[in-house]
Amino acid sequence: MNLKRLLAVAYKEWREILRDRIFFLLAFGLPIVLMLVFGYGITPDVENVPLAFVDYDHSALSRDYAQHYIESRYFNFKGYLHSLQEADGLLTGGKIRVAIVIPEHFQEDLMAGRAVAIQTLVDGANTGPARIIQGYADGINSAASGELQMSYIARHLGISLERAQTIIQPIKLEVRYLYNQEVRILWDVAPSLIMFILLLTAPMLTALSVVREKETGAIYNIYASTISGAEFLAGKLLPNILISFINAVILWLMVTFYFGAPFKGNLLFFFFATLFYVICNSSMGLLISLMVRTQIAALMITVVLGFIIGIQFSGMLTPIAALTGSNYVIAHLFPAMYYNTVIQGAFLKNLGLAALWPEVTLFVAYSAGLLGACYFLFHKRTRT
Amino acid sequence: MNESLHPLQFVYVWLRQLQVMTIKELRQLSRDRALLIYIIYIFTLDIVIAAGAINTELNQSKLVVHDADHSAASRELIYRFQPPYFSLVGTVTDANQGLYLLDQGDAMLFLDIPERFAATLGQGERAAKVQLLIDTSKATPGFLASSYSARIMADFSREWASQQLLRAGLEPGSVPIIQNQRRIWYNPTLDEAWYGTLAQLLTMITVACLLLPAAALVREKERGNIEQLLVSPLTPFQVMFSKVLAMILVTLVGTAVSLFGVMQPFFGVPIKGSAPLFFALTALYAFTTAGLGLVAATFARNSAQVGMLVLLMVIPINILSGDRTPLESMPLWLQYLTNVFPLRHFIEITFGILLRGAGLAALWDSVLAMTLLGCLLFALGLWRFRRQFG
Repeated sequence: MNLKRLLAVAYKEWREILRDRIFFLLAFGLPIVLMLVFGYGITPDVENVPLAFVDYDHSALSRDYAQHYIESRYFNFKGYLHSLQEADGLLTGGKIRVAIVIPEHFQEDLMAGRAVAIQTLVDGANTGPARIIQGYADGINSAASGELQMSYIARHLGISLERAQTIIQPIKLEVRYLYNQEVRILWDVAPSLIMFILLLTAPMLTALSVVREKETGAIYNIYASTISGAEFLAGKLLPNILISFINAVILWLMVTFYFGAPFKGNLLFFFFATLFYVICNSSMGLLISLMVRTQIAALMITVVLGFIIGIQFSGMLTPIAALTGSNYVIAHLFPAMYYNTVIQGAFLKNLGLAALWPEVTLFVAYSAGLLGACYFLFHKRTRT
Repeated sequence: MNESLHPLQFVYVWLRQLQVMTIKELRQLSRDRALLIYIIYIFTLDIVIAAGAINTELNQSKLVVHDADHSAASRELIYRFQPPYFSLVGTVTDANQGLYLLDQGDAMLFLDIPERFAATLGQGERAAKVQLLIDTSKATPGFLASSYSARIMADFSREWASQQLLRAGLEPGSVPIIQNQRRIWYNPTLDEAWYGTLAQLLTMITVACLLLPAAALVREKERGNIEQLLVSPLTPFQVMFSKVLAMILVTLVGTAVSLFGVMQPFFGVPIKGSAPLFFALTALYAFTTAGLGLVAATFARNSAQVGMLVLLMVIPINILSGDRTPLESMPLWLQYLTNVFPLRHFIEITFGILLRGAGLAALWDSVLAMTLLGCLLFALGLWRFRRQFG
């Protein structure tokens, strides 16, 4: 390998990227756009759920009870309805997702010490949020019910509220959330988006940069020149690794400062691991570029592959432990899953090289394997 | 050219031309074997795969317990954390070990029952404390685990509360309580496959309707075929609309196959509303989305560019239209912005008609928005096409 020739290819590549406006936009604009789109689209926490009440009791106590839900940040109160039919219509039209029905004699029964059943009607069309909404409603209802019981007992026995609480709630469950104290989906998924977006863009850039030369025929200049295969490949790879690494830094800044996800780990280690993950992905793009002939094919393959690996096999949305059979095995074949472990460790758990060295070693080995394959697949003579 | 014709004859000829062109588009599609396989795949196998892809329920969360009390009460409490939501993977003898297992990701929950738990409960002087540590680095399962644990704990606590009440001189049945009767509508068992398959179908229809007509138009531009079409008696409207028409037909057939051939028989996806209405609106959606694709095609010079443009549109449309996440959770400005995505309205329509049994009365606003969008996009595409080749 001749360093001078390698740098010449790298420099040429760099100039080309800077001059091609569409490509430049793709290289630096696409990751930012994707981060915004996914950041808002994949990750929102279930909040502002539109809710309505059917209050058949119209009492002070029923309004008090409703207030518990209205004040919560999880629900967006849409008003009181007159009948169950009205709630049915709004749920069917997708205008509200929850309706809570308070029965007649709500106040009378509770004051007399009787049990009362309210109904929570949840739109189950979208299953995931439906489960979470049920959880919210359960939590608010038991808090409201507990308060009521406490004051009832305190009044009837003539004891303090605290004493009443020990009687009615003899066990106190203290829940502590680790690593993601506010249980925000955004904090859990946004860091993983760095993995996903680099998985999409880094191979795409590298693949396009080689295939473009194939399509325009510029690659024949390379074939005819004194540049060796290894020099050409390395020269192509270097600027693309640099771009993707810059993107990784930009993405990290967006995740921590724009989306506000906490970063507890060692920054130096995180970027060290990220660099090797970027090299892995760029090498994957290089391998793809050697196997296809047109830019559209390169684009489609990198995007489809990126989406399949990122969404299903990386642990970003479904935990790896929840995968079964062949899916579990497939997930272990790609570096994305290991980098996701690095991200989760570095962002939420403050794990460093001591705990995550196997992942980094794996990136190095993976890159070496891919680059080796590229070296053997690249021929300066077109096959006849 | 057709001035001498009787108006009815003119309409007949015009329709016949459109028919011939549409058949040409369909034939072209059927000869591209890779594309044909792709289309068959997205309406059949892909739907089957999607049915098992999502699981939003808590599944065998690993629980580790530190029981410093070793009493009947503590064992009874631990015993209540049962599959399918929880699975007890082990007990530890000191709390630090539990924390270590959480750190390593070998456990998701750590239940710490202190010494004298049963004794404190028995005395009833103060509340007996139990600590539960939850790894919430995966937020959704974390929240569900916390919510289900709270229910288990509340049930357990209630039984002890009855004893305390009796001792204090109150009949447990005489204390008021608000019970929550939970009803899930439209999908009572929260079957993931209903939502998963429909969401995947919508995604795939969107990709196909955006990409295929756009690619067909650009291919004709690339090969110069368009010049031939334009010197023929065909109008630009017919050239473009025949591509849309072909796409509508493919979408309708594909949707029928996946709805009646895959989703209904294998996954029990219901059709609560009117099927004809659903298919009519599916045709409208195909028209709208194909229109968007054609607009993109007028901006592109070659297949690579149109691929890139479609890609840039299809990702935000699919992610932000509320297919996977409810719209109301997004920032307000984004909710307004997504109104220009046809998919947003079609999602309301699809889940409305098929799962919730809604009719036009409940969905008129979505239908109106989609119709307007469709006409606007098609007109824009036609206008740009005329300007380029007119």
